Amino acid sequence: MKSIHPLTSIRGASAVQIMFGIVIIAALFAFPQFVESPYALHMMILFFLSTLMGSSWNIIGGYTGQYSVGHAAYFGTGAYTTMILLTTKEIPPWQGMWIGMFAAVIVALIVGSICFRLRGPYFVLASIAVAEIVRITALNLTDLTKGAEGILVTDIPPFKIGELLITDFASKVPYYYIALVLALAIILVTWLVQHSKLGYYFQAIREDQDAAHSLGINLTIWKNTPLVISAVFTSLAGSFYAIFIKFIDPTTVLPLDLSVQIVLISIIGGIGTIWGPVVGSLVLVPLSEALRSNVIAQWLINSGMVDAESGTGVFLKEHLAHAHVLIYGILVVVVILFMPEGVMGYVKKLAAKKKGGEA
Amino acid sequence: MTFSVLLQSIISGMLVGGVYALIGIGLTIIFGVMRVINFAHGDIMMVGMYLTFFLFTLLGIDPFVSVLITMPLMFLFGALMQKVFINRVLSALPQNQILLTIGLGLIMSNSAMLAFTSDYKILTTSYSSSSYSLGGISISQPLLISFLITCAITVGLYWFLMRTDTGQAIRATAQDREAAQLMGINVKWMSILSFGIGSAMAGTAGALIAPTYYIFPQVGSAFTLKAFVITVLGGMGSIIGATLGGIIIGLVESVSAVTISSEWKDVVVFAIFLLVLLIKPSGLMGKSRL
Repeated sequence: MKSIHPLTSIRGASAVQIMFGIVIIAALFAFPQFVESPYALHMMILFFLSTLMGSSWNIIGGYTGQYSVGHAAYFGTGAYTTMILLTTKEIPPWQGMWIGMFAAVIVALIVGSICFRLRGPYFVLASIAVAEIVRITALNLTDLTKGAEGILVTDIPPFKIGELLITDFASKVPYYYIALVLALAIILVTWLVQHSKLGYYFQAIREDQDAAHSLGINLTIWKNTPLVISAVFTSLAGSFYAIFIKFIDPTTVLPLDLSVQIVLISIIGGIGTIWGPVVGSLVLVPLSEALRSNVIAQWLINSGMVDAESGTGVFLKEHLAHAHVLIYGILVVVVILFMPEGVMGYVKKLAAKKKGGEA
Repeated sequence: MTFSVLLQSIISGMLVGGVYALIGIGLTIIFGVMRVINFAHGDIMMVGMYLTFFLFTLLGIDPFVSVLITMPLMFLFGALMQKVFINRVLSALPQNQILLTIGLGLIMSNSAMLAFTSDYKILTTSYSSSSYSLGGISISQPLLISFLITCAITVGLYWFLMRTDTGQAIRATAQDREAAQLMGINVKWMSILSFGIGSAMAGTAGALIAPTYYIFPQVGSAFTLKAFVITVLGGMGSIIGATLGGIIIGLVESVSAVTISSEWKDVVVFAIFLLVLLIKPSGLMGKSRL
């Protein structure tokens, strides 16, 4: 069990650490000025998006200990609200996303009122059931959502404040900055949660909800609060995804697989830590993209390990791209069996061992 | 809607429910003995479906006969999975157990996709679309056969658990793991055995459903969810509960498909699931364990 950090150790972050943070953030903001490759930008955007989704889940799953496996519901609510408002009412996404967040809050409160009466595995099952109901509803309300056909937009209206044009979304650069700001925002929120009274309530519920309750922590309020925070940011991720990919349907923004992937980002990195989802994304995004874009199959062939013309070579080239989720499966099994605290926890443990060995 | 349409849907719901019961029984035995919720259950069933498909297309073995091969193979598959993976997390947090089985499920479904592509496969036998007619109500032949096999397996399993020494040892382990161990029962072996049995049940259900259902790598997750609904409805860990739950869910699906619409039938199922969780989380047969 993780101990709750005393306030002093956080406020007392060393000057070196603060400087290091500032340099990294500055480098991330300068990145598009030096790198023009759309592919590199695309990868960075996926990394930020993954961090956003993972960290959002981390607030309810990692800090409060409520393992929701239904976060696709909030992602999909954000994505669908933004897209429906854009295509039917011509409401631009940066206005639609607020309505999406509001809709996600309502969904979250409904989920909370049903699922928070349940504990442990029953909570997990209930959260899945609610998300599946949302998915099937989106699939069947064809008038509103176009059902399985999905919603496609070709043009995103330019972002204007008054007459001032902020961006026309012509390249990947504006998406890069939006995703970066969202990722930094969720990291800041996580930091605030970890170091505030709010966070202590959440963590107390995670460690022992009966004890927390007996100490006067209102479980209804302090379970729903992190869920709402989590839902709001997951919905933002959904809205962002919708305008970035410009196409959504129930099988891309609402499936059970997505809920599972959202959980795994934190699990693999290390749950209940600020940097866990960031580390998880650093591991997962490049790996699954490498599989998806066939880099691995190509590398195996180029390195001479597999002959391109042989049966294996052809097979790898044709199929490996379809199995990028496989890596999630393998990683989660390895993490649960060998590093239950996630990659972060494992590295810390190794470091502590080394230190202990030297002393 | 006429009465005969309703009767028709009740009968086909019962028949499908029998196979659902088999899936649910597998899940409930695993939960009963190990307190592990197996999120890979539907994927194990998917493996059984592919096994049946290839036994049929490559060796020409009839899907219902191939149960005799599928069942022992899937037993070994499950026993191995328990020994290598599940055994290591028996005392871990329930969340971590769930995540491990989710991971194993992802590995199974994505490996199947890697090996067989995500194309839908259909197993067509000579009797796939034939049916018996009984007073204006038609009964699908493959569904009827699979229902009868399901009944035979369920009765056999029940006899095994109630009447044999090993069965009693499994039930004792489910009742109180530590006390069972103190009585000299090899609980590790019982866990392997019951995961094997659970996996064999799921695999057999896959074999039985193969002639009437599309076979594709992601078919499992829908059945995993169904298995949860069935076992929670019946009461986690109760075999009679899972049997009842399976038939009830089969009926609900098929009746709501004709009375409401087939698009919304899963919503009805999940709504019932949530209601059970809220009103009586212990399920219909809550108290009894195996």
